[in-house]
Amino acid sequence: MGNPKAFLTVPRQEAGHRPIHERISDFGEVEQTLNESNRMLQASRCMDCGVPFCHWACPLGNKQPEWQDAVYRGKWETAYKILTATNDFPEFTGRICPALCEKSCVLNHCIDAPVTIRENECSIIEKAFREGFVQPKHYERNGRRVAIIGAGPAGLSAAVQLNRRGYAVTVFDKHSDAGGLLRYGIPNFKLDKYVVTRRTNLMQQEGVEFQFDTDIDLNHLPEGFDAYVIANGTPTARDLKIEGRDLKGVYFALQILSQQNERLAGKQFAESETITAKSKRVLVIGGGDTGSDCIGTCHRQGAVSVTQIEIMPKPPVGSNPATPWPQWPVVLKTTTSHEEGCERRWCLTSNRFIGNAKGELTGVEVEEVEWLPAPEGGRPQMKLTGRKEVIECDMVLLAMGFLKPEHPQYAPNVFLAGDAKSGASLVVRAIASGREVAQQVDNYLRKG
Amino acid sequence: MAFAVIDDLVRRDEIQLDYETAQHNYIKAIDKGLLKIMSKMGISTIRSYRGAKIFEPIGLSSQLLADYFGTSLSTVGGIGLETITADALRMHAQAFDGQAESDILPFVGQYSFRKDGIRHAWTPEAIATLQLATRTGSYKKFKEFTSIIDNKPEPLFLRDFFKFKQKPIDISEVEPAENIVRRFIGAAMSFGAISKEAHEAIALALNKLGGRSNTGEGGEDSERFYTDKDGVSLSSSIKQVASGRFGVTAEYLVNATEIQIKVAQGAKPGEGGQLPGYKVNEVIARTRNSIPGITLISPPPHHDIYSIEDLAQLIYDLRSVNPKAKISVKLVAESGVGTIAAGVAKAKADLVIISGAEGGTGASPASSIRYAGISPEIGLAETQQTLVMNGLRGSIEVQTDGQLKTGRDVVAMALLGAGEFAFGTAQLIVLGCVLMRKCHTNACPVGVATQDPKLRERFLGRSEYLVNYYMFMAEEVREYLAQMGFRKFDDIIGRTDLIEVDPTKFTDKTRGLDFSRILTKIDNGAATRKMAENQYDLSKTMDARLIADAAEAIDSQRPVRLSYNILNTDRAVGATLSGAVAAKYRAIGLPENTINVQFTGSAGQSFGAFLMRGISFSVEGEVNDYVAKGLSGGCISVYPSRKSTFNPQENIIAGNTILYGATSGEVYISGRVGERFAVRNSGATAVVEGTGDHCCEYMTGGRVVVLGTTGRNFAAGMSGGLAYVWDKNHDFDYYCNMDMIELSLIEEKSRRDELFELISRHYRHTGSPLAKQMIEHWSDYIDDFIQVTPIEYKRVLHEEALRQIEKKMENVQQEENY
Repeated sequence: MGNPKAFLTVPRQEAGHRPIHERISDFGEVEQTLNESNRMLQASRCMDCGVPFCHWACPLGNKQPEWQDAVYRGKWETAYKILTATNDFPEFTGRICPALCEKSCVLNHCIDAPVTIRENECSIIEKAFREGFVQPKHYERNGRRVAIIGAGPAGLSAAVQLNRRGYAVTVFDKHSDAGGLLRYGIPNFKLDKYVVTRRTNLMQQEGVEFQFDTDIDLNHLPEGFDAYVIANGTPTARDLKIEGRDLKGVYFALQILSQQNERLAGKQFAESETITAKSKRVLVIGGGDTGSDCIGTCHRQGAVSVTQIEIMPKPPVGSNPATPWPQWPVVLKTTTSHEEGCERRWCLTSNRFIGNAKGELTGVEVEEVEWLPAPEGGRPQMKLTGRKEVIECDMVLLAMGFLKPEHPQYAPNVFLAGDAKSGASLVVRAIASGREVAQQVDNYLRKG
Repeated sequence: MAFAVIDDLVRRDEIQLDYETAQHNYIKAIDKGLLKIMSKMGISTIRSYRGAKIFEPIGLSSQLLADYFGTSLSTVGGIGLETITADALRMHAQAFDGQAESDILPFVGQYSFRKDGIRHAWTPEAIATLQLATRTGSYKKFKEFTSIIDNKPEPLFLRDFFKFKQKPIDISEVEPAENIVRRFIGAAMSFGAISKEAHEAIALALNKLGGRSNTGEGGEDSERFYTDKDGVSLSSSIKQVASGRFGVTAEYLVNATEIQIKVAQGAKPGEGGQLPGYKVNEVIARTRNSIPGITLISPPPHHDIYSIEDLAQLIYDLRSVNPKAKISVKLVAESGVGTIAAGVAKAKADLVIISGAEGGTGASPASSIRYAGISPEIGLAETQQTLVMNGLRGSIEVQTDGQLKTGRDVVAMALLGAGEFAFGTAQLIVLGCVLMRKCHTNACPVGVATQDPKLRERFLGRSEYLVNYYMFMAEEVREYLAQMGFRKFDDIIGRTDLIEVDPTKFTDKTRGLDFSRILTKIDNGAATRKMAENQYDLSKTMDARLIADAAEAIDSQRPVRLSYNILNTDRAVGATLSGAVAAKYRAIGLPENTINVQFTGSAGQSFGAFLMRGISFSVEGEVNDYVAKGLSGGCISVYPSRKSTFNPQENIIAGNTILYGATSGEVYISGRVGERFAVRNSGATAVVEGTGDHCCEYMTGGRVVVLGTTGRNFAAGMSGGLAYVWDKNHDFDYYCNMDMIELSLIEEKSRRDELFELISRHYRHTGSPLAKQMIEHWSDYIDDFIQVTPIEYKRVLHEEALRQIEKKMENVQQEENY
């Protein structure tokens, strides 16, 4: 906290994005960075609240007031230490976290201009890498071994924490590289994969072992470990089993997203396997973040047009009295991908996929729905209106979320973490869950 | 270790000083801190500080106290040596077991919330839920809020260990919420500390509900006394009289339904309020009778209360000004508070407030927030027990405060003996406070605790939210009453037998607590709650005669001249008369000299207290202590009996603590006065012929002329106004406290003229031979006068002069442009 009134004199300044015409021709990161003095000025806007709602809202319990004060004072290494005491991967959350902290920031409440907490976080960790504050550490081994299934954010944070506590950690993953959705879901224009590799390399240097291309059968866990952490995420995407689902051109969102990321990493795909939106009219079904990632990816692949439909009504723009501060505001979210061009429609349900004789998709029949107010305590009720139309398209991407996995009763030395435990959620929650499960494993093994 | 830390900080360049300087500064800071703490405790020498046992053990077992603290009197029992050992070992392990992730000391959140830090009663969820509940008027949400507060993961307050005996009746049988809500009081928060908008919203809400809001110690803009909003008055019912006496005028007092004497504040016992200069804007300055930009410090004690008799006198003075108002006395919870409360009851107060440590302003010093004061439960229980034991509870109401938030808190405190309940923090949160705890910086981003107009625009609170809060809480109290089987709130006051201690709430640390002392119920047949309003007879006082004889003047402003003999049993003469004038003519009072009274004899205490503009008293003879206390524009002159033969310059004819808290008016005394003359004077003019110690202490405005010698500690804490002292022995600087002032000869012509005029008036009013001599030989005397100018005041005068010049320049430029 520089000056408690800094928020009156220093306006919120975001680093901003690369211009649209430039960024849609490559997969480089969209977000830009501020120079160091502006960054310190932005950090000075933090008022070190007596009740820091940012800290409260953060699933990791990040101590924003403390590290922002350190940044303001130019003590980057101190800031780095405070930040990494609660967050194992600030370089991920600093880029792709929806920043619950900023929504709960007191300055968001009173002047609609929260501190740029997420960007501040990112600049601390990037500075730390640049200046060499981040060095592999070696921890005394305690002779115990832990297997972690899944190298996504939950698995990785559990691995870091357990490795730090002296356990020999092996991370198994069915993919050929680490990161889970960080690597195979989130597009490069939001999170460059170099950032993921930099971290997993560091983990390897610290002694974490990775076994890739290994699909573990959860009913037959590998032998030789004292405890197991299952963090394999939510493998099943929600499907839309309506007429025409088998037509060529209907894909799950992750199919196109992961293939694009892999292609950028150098993997070659046969033409028959290639999924691309090039020269296609694309319809994205599902209005969430994954859908938005599809939009940006399609633009970069050279789609003719992109439309996004959502079954729920359009959320309020700006503020929503039903979700007042400090809650997460359920409002219309316009991402960088939306800015790049996209038609967005709401209250549409999909009735059937329409195809041509060759079995290729040509359109989707949609129908307008109405939402009736919820009966006491229940969810709003959907009502079909009969107003139907056909949206012409050559490609449909299903971005309708993921099914919460069901797990059998495991042995007491098997623990669940991340999406695998609680269903699809944010990266920041996955990291928090990984840290929590590490503590549980540690408690369990110390006791036993 | 402290020095090792300093050494480390210097090495790491965290402190840009060499070690020797840093060490020196540190020792100096510790010294100053120690002095400050000692002065708060009323201890003046290190010798009496050492071993003085000025601590109050809470939560330590009797055994531990007997073994190590030389007492075995433990209010609530508590931990023993084993727990302390375990804690020490745990902390040692934390430091040295090698598990720490980084070399940064963890921040445990003493002052601010941290998820992994120490617990605070106001959590983010609680704040957000309360605001939502009161804003939307949702009782369901309010119950969510009370559930968060009442079911906190582990107890934080003593009352959290209580549960109440159940014997349910139907809730429809319980008295309505409208009755219960009248017991709710807005805790004292001054206009100055909080914004105009917040202060007015609180007054509106409580006036609407029939509760009472409190001005706090900063006075109140008199416009609010006469302003309504939708038929609801903006005037705070409770007018506080604190040691600073800011804005305490006759007009202020007659507009009260309760006058509260603030002896101390639970959150910072032993300290007065402090309003930093940057929070003192034009309006604040007006209501406090001071000058914008000048820091306002309330002295730790009331200078007119040094004994319980003095308190009784002050209660009498205030009751005389406004016979219709209740008089209350605010005390802090501490061991022995019961005895003080009994004294307060015997001094004929109507209400006593037991203020708990948990309450607290964000602007209190950190050392007070953390280490001073005790739980209201302890103080309240002791007060109730002492009052009942002495048969006094029936004549006095007991109010309590200290982080009360929910219906459950209210019921718990009622069972311990309270009949009224004050809320501070909760009110502010309802009005939008998010516990930034930046009140002392004037940077409150939600416009609650700031005077910055730009920030005040951000205030989103409304009195309706507070109305919702209080009605919800009253409703919840009804639910508890129904569960406990009582129809009337009165019936549970002091019923400690209905409290059970909930064993499931104990943790390893709290298991040793012993509530038996707190929960003791005195069964002697005496009343356990206030039974009837007190009656006071003021019909036989000197003022009753004055009002009758001056009726024409009061009714139609026709001047009257009266004369009386006066005895020292005539106390607070002029107070009721002033109250009557202020009630009719507000602050303006009567035209000068409308009521002119000549007394002969020896006047009793508080002569001319709160004397209003338009009333002139003169006394031939002598006067006692507290003359012209709170002077509100009146004129008082005192001179020795014409038959006396003594030299006025060498004899004291007026007592101690004259002109305390005066805001305007004139006093001329042809003779010496006692100690503490013109303490906290903020606008009155006085001429005397010699003073005792501590003259002009904490003065913020007005003029004081001393034509003679002074005692020591002259002008301590003086931040405004001017004093002129005739330094005939050329040793005045020895008697002066130079911390905040500058001494000079009187150089400016305007100042010389002013002094001459004041001495001339002194002569006209008292016939002082010395004044006559001075006027006739002015040039022989003027160079022996010393002008005392507070440094802060000088700056303000300087800035004012600069502004004038700038304005002129602007005008000149504009003219040139034409």
